[in-house]
Amino acid sequence: MAEKPDVWQGTLALMVLRTLETMGPQHGYGLARRIEQISGDLLDLNYGTLYPALLKLEQEGYIRSQWGNSENNRRAKFYELTKAGQKRLRKAAQEWNQTTEILARFLDEPGKA
Amino acid sequence: MNKLRAFWTRLINTLRGASYSKDFADELETHVAMDTERGVQNGLSPEEARRQALIRSGGIAQAHDAYAERQGLPRLDSLLRDINYSLRSLTRNRLVTAVAILSIGLGIGSNTTIFSIVSRFVLRPAPVGDPSTLLSLHINHDGDRCCNQFPWPVFNDLREQATYLSDIAAYDDLVPASISGGSEPERVWGQGVTPNFFRVAQLPMVMGAGFHDADEKAPVVVLSERLWKRRFNSDKEIVGKTVTLSGHIFTVAGIVPAAFHSIDQIINAEFWIPLDMTPELAASLPPHDSREYHWLSLISRVRSGVTRDQVTAQLNTIADRLAVSYPATDKGNHFVFEQAGSLPPFYRSMALMFLTALSIVVLLLLAIAGFNVANLLFAQSINRQREMAVRLALGASRGRLLRLVLLESLFLGLAGGTLGVMLSLWSTGALSSLKLPAPIPLDTQVSIDGRTLAYTFLISVLCGLLLGMAPAWAASRPRVAHALKADSGFAAAGGRFRARSVLVVAQVAMAVVLLALTGLFLRSLESASEINIGFRTRGLLLLHVDPRLNGYSPSKTSAFLEQLRERAAALPGVDAAVCSDVPLLSGGNRSDGFTVVGRTQKDAPSVPTADLYMVTPGFFNALGIPALAGRDFSHETANGPRVAVINKAFAERLFAGADPIGQRVDGGGSTYQIIGVVGNAKSRTLGEDTRAILYRSLDQSVANDPSGMGYTLIVHTPGNPAGIAAALRREVYNLDPDMAVYNLETMDEHVRAAYILPRVAALLFGIFGAIGLVLATIGLYGVMSFAVARRTREIGIRMAMGARPSAVLNLVLRRGLSLTLTAIALGWPAAWMLAKLSSSFLYGIQPHDAVTFTMVPVVLVVVALVAAWIPAHRAASINPTQALRME
Repeated sequence: MAEKPDVWQGTLALMVLRTLETMGPQHGYGLARRIEQISGDLLDLNYGTLYPALLKLEQEGYIRSQWGNSENNRRAKFYELTKAGQKRLRKAAQEWNQTTEILARFLDEPGKA
Repeated sequence: MNKLRAFWTRLINTLRGASYSKDFADELETHVAMDTERGVQNGLSPEEARRQALIRSGGIAQAHDAYAERQGLPRLDSLLRDINYSLRSLTRNRLVTAVAILSIGLGIGSNTTIFSIVSRFVLRPAPVGDPSTLLSLHINHDGDRCCNQFPWPVFNDLREQATYLSDIAAYDDLVPASISGGSEPERVWGQGVTPNFFRVAQLPMVMGAGFHDADEKAPVVVLSERLWKRRFNSDKEIVGKTVTLSGHIFTVAGIVPAAFHSIDQIINAEFWIPLDMTPELAASLPPHDSREYHWLSLISRVRSGVTRDQVTAQLNTIADRLAVSYPATDKGNHFVFEQAGSLPPFYRSMALMFLTALSIVVLLLLAIAGFNVANLLFAQSINRQREMAVRLALGASRGRLLRLVLLESLFLGLAGGTLGVMLSLWSTGALSSLKLPAPIPLDTQVSIDGRTLAYTFLISVLCGLLLGMAPAWAASRPRVAHALKADSGFAAAGGRFRARSVLVVAQVAMAVVLLALTGLFLRSLESASEINIGFRTRGLLLLHVDPRLNGYSPSKTSAFLEQLRERAAALPGVDAAVCSDVPLLSGGNRSDGFTVVGRTQKDAPSVPTADLYMVTPGFFNALGIPALAGRDFSHETANGPRVAVINKAFAERLFAGADPIGQRVDGGGSTYQIIGVVGNAKSRTLGEDTRAILYRSLDQSVANDPSGMGYTLIVHTPGNPAGIAAALRREVYNLDPDMAVYNLETMDEHVRAAYILPRVAALLFGIFGAIGLVLATIGLYGVMSFAVARRTREIGIRMAMGARPSAVLNLVLRRGLSLTLTAIALGWPAAWMLAKLSSSFLYGIQPHDAVTFTMVPVVLVVVALVAAWIPAHRAASINPTQALRME
């Protein structure tokens, strides 16, 4: 079994916000599944990473949570993007795009040695 | 912003101790259930699906931990737990904690008390607007010429020429007035000020507008809020109404806040009138055109944009110019200034010296207390090595242990500081209630202000941290392997003991210094009580009146005092009734320079200052001042040739052995014929070198040079003088019901007040010395008993091998004695050097007083032997078999 990369905090927060934006309110399991799926199962989220990250986002006011019923009628805690979270997402996405773009330019440049 | 919000939420969670773990457990359970469901859908058995779900989750317990860490603030949480733990361990060792807090409390309490005095008299700015820019001006003279105040013309010169100063206000610092009506008549003191006074001081009125520039000669008055409450019922409509001061009518122009007593913050003034109105109330004011009378105090502010150096330079230029224009009077004058609200230069340096000596003493005391507590904590930390070793073995970091121990000592420091503040609340109260030997009202209230509290907090924290240092280091570094075994690191014990010995030597050395200073002041009090004041104090009662405040003319004053003497003398048990202006030993007095009439040579002897007293016939007999030559006053007529009786010092200085009787002397604008010589007496203060005194006839002086302080009736009775006080007061009211009687006291009380300096010094140093000695004794005892406890096994072996109890006793005593002798060898020279500092406060003894410097080491050795004897005795009575079995 190949080593799966660790998810570091900053990017996980961005993934969570983005997922909530596209899918609407979502419980922790759904979020985890979705993120794993989109990453093509390259990422593996354990609870010790996901739930503190969610709590942090909630403490910072980017998401809010509420207990509700899942599609299978199971009680679950649903997370939802707030206004501040939408703003944060836009800004973070922009920064991230910029960073990757710059890095890509460095890495794509043919060696001139 | 969002970070802050998150921090806040976590802080609240931590402090509430709230936990959402139930909530989170539910959430996790849902997660696992959903994952299991998916596994089942994919064809796994429910058990296998759940197993895989749990594996994927990465551990439920870890998830809980990570979640909890994010929920609160783990660092704060562990700090709170440490605080809780250290408080608990402090309460566990109650005795050690109590001794420690008491020691630190005494040390800090002494410091707080002394600092509150420093804060009150040195640091506190005057209660005026923008106090840092308000200056008070002083004159300094070359040579030793009188006071720091200004003659009127010099004030005018400065006002015109000192352009770097924005405005100069002058005031006469003491003007008496009587207020009658309502309750008993009362004498109050105020100040005469130029109308710009309150503007320069930037003192806002509670009510009214204060003085206008045109008020120079207007009968207006500004009252203190205190007087307004006390005498005028806090009348809200008082501004614009008239009040009567000494029979003169003044219109109230304003009320100043109660906090304002005077610019110098010592004189307790309660009303202010225009300077030109003061002749209405004060007996006689120096002429406005004289450059010789120094009587005005000046305050001013620096013009904006001007530096203080520029002001100094300009004042120097003016002083030089005046010296050229008026060589006779102004030569040698220098103008200096300092921030207003501080004592005048002369008193300031005295006060600073005294406070420096006291500060050194209380810091020594705190250091002794600190070493004591450090020693206690040290001993305790050795006992706690096992505990610390266990914690280390279980994975606590050394930093965490360090923090734990530091927290403990920090709490000790703060608790000690709290106790110290409580102690000093009491001590400052006691200090404030001391009566000063002065006939004028002084505000010498000392209290704990914000500055003092901040200082106390600071030294408490500092104390706590310093105290914790050594034990913290020791505690966090146990040799785990040794300490976990039953014996707590026997190998290390020697080193620790050495460290504690150093502490105790330092402590005892400081006690030597402290005791030496204490000894000096106690000896000083002893010798002060043997000072011959030159007159008797037993059986005398003093009563003060000021008839001039009731509008009495000089001749009416004379007559009133004579009638009063007659009525007093007629009281049963009274065998003498005489009058003077102020009584002897009142702190200060009128004085003048004297020369002999007829001697014209330039180098003829003169008396630069002789104190002047007005007396009535029989005064010397009543006070028991021996007559040496000539005669006493008889009933001199008010307008007859002026006569005087001089004391022995006066005669020696001016006549050097020749017979002074019949000679005439000149001084203070009058010529006196000398009719008698009497023995010397202390005139102003106990500590003074014998001063020249000239006694003049009261009846001859009332008119042209009346007393500014009123007059004193002195009555002698063979019985208890306090018993006739009421009768005497009644006689005054029989003569004039509106006459205010003040300072009704026995001569014993009056003179006791003059002992205030040596008494206060001896009291303070006595208390501090006693505390220091007790603390050092406890420290020595602690170290010795610790040493004995440590060496129980060794002593047991020695005794099993045949050592006699007396040999063991000697062994321990020798150890204690060698520590003490080392400490004395270090402390004694330090005390010898510091003693010089105290020389100006000692009465009749040298700073290197032989008695003190021999007694102190002896006392300490005795005390040390006692402190070491108890543990030594315990060591000598060790049962060898038991000691060897111990382990």
